[in-house]
Amino acid sequence: MAVEVLEPFLKGDTGRNTRGLLRLIILCTIAAAAVASRLFSVILDPWFNFRATKYLVQNGFYSFWDWFDDREASHPVAQLVYEPRKPAEEPKRTRTWHPLGRVTGGTLYPGLMVTSGIIYHVLRFLSMPVDIRNICVLLAPGFSGLTAFASYLITSEMTTSPSAGLLAAIFMGITPGYISRSVAGSYDNEAIAIFLLVFTFFLWIKSVKNGSAMWGALTALFYGYMVSAWGGYVFITNLLPLHTFVLICMGRYSPRLYVSYSTWFALGTLASMQVPFVGFLPIRSSDHMSALGVFGLLQLVAFVEFIRQQVPNKQFQTLLRGLIFVVFVVSMGVLVLLTVSGVIAPWSGRFYSLWDTGYAKIHIPIIASVSEHQPTAWPAFFFDLNLMIWLFPAGVYMCFQQLKDEHVFVVIYAVLASYFAGVMVRLMLTLTPVVCIAAALAISSILDTYLVAENPIPKETQANGQATSDSIKSAADVIKDSLRSTRNPVLGIYSYVSKASVVGAVTTYLLLFVLHCTWVTSNAYSSPSVVLASKLPDGSQHIIDDYREAYYWLRQNTPDKAKIMSWWDYGYQIGGMADRPTLVDNNTWNNTHIATVGKAMSSREEVSYPILRQHDVDYVLVVFGGLLGYSGDDINKFLWMVRISEGIWPDEINERNYFTARGEYRVDDEATPTMRNSLMYKMSYYNYNALFPAGQAQDRVRGSKLPAEGPQLSTLEEAFTSENWIIRIYKVKDLDNVGRDHGSAVAFDKGNKKKKTAKRRGARVLRVE
Amino acid sequence: MKLSGVLSLTLLSSLCLGAKRSSGGTFENYHAKSQSYAPLRLDDASYDELTATPRNHSVLVLLTALEARFGCQLCRDFQPEWDLLGRSWAKGDRHGDSRVLLGTLDFADGKGTFQKLMLQTAPIFLLFPPTSGRNAKPDGQPIRYDFTAGPQSAEQVVGWMSRYLPDGPKPAVQRPLNYVRIITVTTTLLGVLSFLSVAYPYILPVIQNRNLWAGISLITILLFTSGHMFNHIRKVPYVAGNGQGGISYFAGGFSNQFGMETQIVAAMYGTLSFATIALALRVPRMSDPKRQQLAVFIWGGVMFGMYSFLLSVFRIKNGGYPFHLPPF
Repeated sequence: MAVEVLEPFLKGDTGRNTRGLLRLIILCTIAAAAVASRLFSVILDPWFNFRATKYLVQNGFYSFWDWFDDREASHPVAQLVYEPRKPAEEPKRTRTWHPLGRVTGGTLYPGLMVTSGIIYHVLRFLSMPVDIRNICVLLAPGFSGLTAFASYLITSEMTTSPSAGLLAAIFMGITPGYISRSVAGSYDNEAIAIFLLVFTFFLWIKSVKNGSAMWGALTALFYGYMVSAWGGYVFITNLLPLHTFVLICMGRYSPRLYVSYSTWFALGTLASMQVPFVGFLPIRSSDHMSALGVFGLLQLVAFVEFIRQQVPNKQFQTLLRGLIFVVFVVSMGVLVLLTVSGVIAPWSGRFYSLWDTGYAKIHIPIIASVSEHQPTAWPAFFFDLNLMIWLFPAGVYMCFQQLKDEHVFVVIYAVLASYFAGVMVRLMLTLTPVVCIAAALAISSILDTYLVAENPIPKETQANGQATSDSIKSAADVIKDSLRSTRNPVLGIYSYVSKASVVGAVTTYLLLFVLHCTWVTSNAYSSPSVVLASKLPDGSQHIIDDYREAYYWLRQNTPDKAKIMSWWDYGYQIGGMADRPTLVDNNTWNNTHIATVGKAMSSREEVSYPILRQHDVDYVLVVFGGLLGYSGDDINKFLWMVRISEGIWPDEINERNYFTARGEYRVDDEATPTMRNSLMYKMSYYNYNALFPAGQAQDRVRGSKLPAEGPQLSTLEEAFTSENWIIRIYKVKDLDNVGRDHGSAVAFDKGNKKKKTAKRRGARVLRVE
Repeated sequence: MKLSGVLSLTLLSSLCLGAKRSSGGTFENYHAKSQSYAPLRLDDASYDELTATPRNHSVLVLLTALEARFGCQLCRDFQPEWDLLGRSWAKGDRHGDSRVLLGTLDFADGKGTFQKLMLQTAPIFLLFPPTSGRNAKPDGQPIRYDFTAGPQSAEQVVGWMSRYLPDGPKPAVQRPLNYVRIITVTTTLLGVLSFLSVAYPYILPVIQNRNLWAGISLITILLFTSGHMFNHIRKVPYVAGNGQGGISYFAGGFSNQFGMETQIVAAMYGTLSFATIALALRVPRMSDPKRQQLAVFIWGGVMFGMYSFLLSVFRIKNGGYPFHLPPF
């Protein structure tokens, strides 16, 4: 009965409409699920982007472009009004990267801020007054819904099966590998960049398929958007030329390819050069040279194809091919020459570290120090992608089945991205889309096969076995270059038992995947870095909120222009939450400036104090996890500070001195004098043994017993220590009033007598008269 | 002004000549020697003479143990670099303007010195600054350089030296052209090219074989997603003992792994992928219903069991992971 009722909806034109509507509803549900799974907890981070967005919204686009971040950061949140107002005449002083200041417009990717600015203005235009903060918080989840839609589109280009696209969309929507960077409040470039990445790829596939300049121009447009949003655009810049190059090598040159690539390259390069931070890089840096080279090659190939059509002479064609080869080699030679002579900038450091994995460790400690730039161990892959990680190769294999132009793209993307993700944890993000696409192809291929209700009629194998094998053979001859496992024609599944068992197992896996994603998201990726959660012995959750406590203290108890020095990881948070200027922050590209901070941290007090004075530092902030067993603290990052500053001052800082004679990194009695005299060590352990009974002070991160006598500080004084000792803030002492050096001033305060007099007095002699 | 310049120059050069002729100073003697054989080969006596205070030159001594019985691989690896550095320094500094002498003290020639310095390890660099003259350092204690980071290149050593040496010429290392290598490379290249041109018709179908490329791509992907690059960069051990005489195949900790572990994981991924491919592509193409049924059960069983095992392995790595499938 129900079947008869449903019949008209599933057949003919109405059927198509019904299915279209269903698909739309499913997609909307997926988008909603994608957004919802990102709302476990909300903390806005990084603050700098939010501050920049506020500035953009208040002062308008052009003012943002020229924003030199050297004055009062922004007007307090309460005064957030729409009318663009001129920056008030405020005392000029540096907010970030003190004392250099930051030409913000020229040193960031503005795509993120501009996007939220546009959304803000559009909503206001529709008379929906929304606080810019809410837009910033919800931007990443919102865009993740769009990413799911984009992966539906791109997967639908790969296969005729409509379910593959929907599967890819839901995979993309809930996979932890993407959620990790797009939870609500994670207001970083990646929030919109992944959508742009996937959508640009979709447009590219579309334009290669159709050979239309319109799709090519759209690709270029979104490529330009991507360039303005994320430094990872170089991945696209290299992947599209590689795809084109491979297609040419496979002998698949076509006018479609020519039109789409030329359109994309010409317009995309122009678009990317509009971003001040990128500027003339596209024609000067080696990262972009492959795109240019392939563009040249494509022109040559097109020329040859044109000539070939006009001239039938075979010898002439051979000559022409030779000519092309020569031209290509010569232009490569010129390119190399230009690179060597320095006209074209060599590959930027990050990309060196991608190819030559040992490079960064030796030459650019500043890149190697970032935890996101570490190589990926296998559990991280499984954690982020779960069952998709083993469906992924299967899906790639299925791409070889038809191997049209778009499948070639997926294969190249898969191989390259898995290499990159293996080298850097951070690039797991670029791998995730292709994994979702391939896994969806694999799963949908299984489901499409096993969910067919009708059974094929088994042929009388004995009777015409000969005939079938003959026909199979001839079929194999026809499609010679297909895969081994797909030579025979598809027949179908004969029994309901096999259908039920396979479908049941796959459903189990998929349900497990959903559980996994929920678990990972709620446990691992939703605890923001500023608030730490821990479990008490009775199982209840305990929130460790030391970071915010300390930032709030800074905000309330320090003068408005107090400069805070900390390691660069905390720069954005201090700038945003405590609203105090910092020396270095997460986006500082001035290596020397970071090394200066590193030097101040890793030197003796006598050396550090002048550095602190020269940089007008008022407070020094360190993160110390020894009491709580919090391993991400500064002592564990300390070696990177040493390495980075050693790169600039090799005479003064030497990494070897921080290791014991046996090459161990220790903080206890056996720590080297250099280590124990370093400012970082002193600040971390100052007064720490007061917490313990005498001689029993223990560092719970490094699991070592500390020396009985704690370090003495003379040029700094303890200003604040948070509840769990995670954040310790020290005030830099002013110069002594009487002109003594700090060491003797402290000694005097303690009641020690001057050493000099003690020496002069000599041994006490009994007076005998 | 010009005249005085010329005058001082001639004076200087005559002084130099005079110094050379008189061959009085230690530096001049040894510098002359180093022109014919660099770096200098020292023994106890000449080492003491060179490093005696006061000295108006710098000395860089490499204390090494080249004889095979000491088994110092690092010493022997570094020796060619050191000879190269010595030669290019001698060539670049013919007149001794840098006032630096480079010398090698092998353990065989200088046991006394090794004992005096109480050295347990080799190779070690000692750089003695001048104690008299313009760039004198008052204490004259040598600066020591350990080879903690493995073998160094001559350029790195020059970089280290230049940091401590006073101003003066610092000849760059000049590597001789490696003719043998150039010839080998050219020959190999030509050989490969000619082989390719001859074998092209036979190679072409292999290159154009889709199965080959599919295999290559899948292996690459499996390699990378099972953490091969981590092994490569971090240089993890292949396996480790579990402390009870056995082998532990899986490293504890989420961001830690062994070489063999990644291979096991890659094999698991490979099996699972292969089962997926078989179920999706092979099985529906089977013409015999009985065999098909069997194949479905086998591949489905393999997939289920393997995935369950994979989850159990993951629970070893991540203690709090709550999910598992029945068998394991």
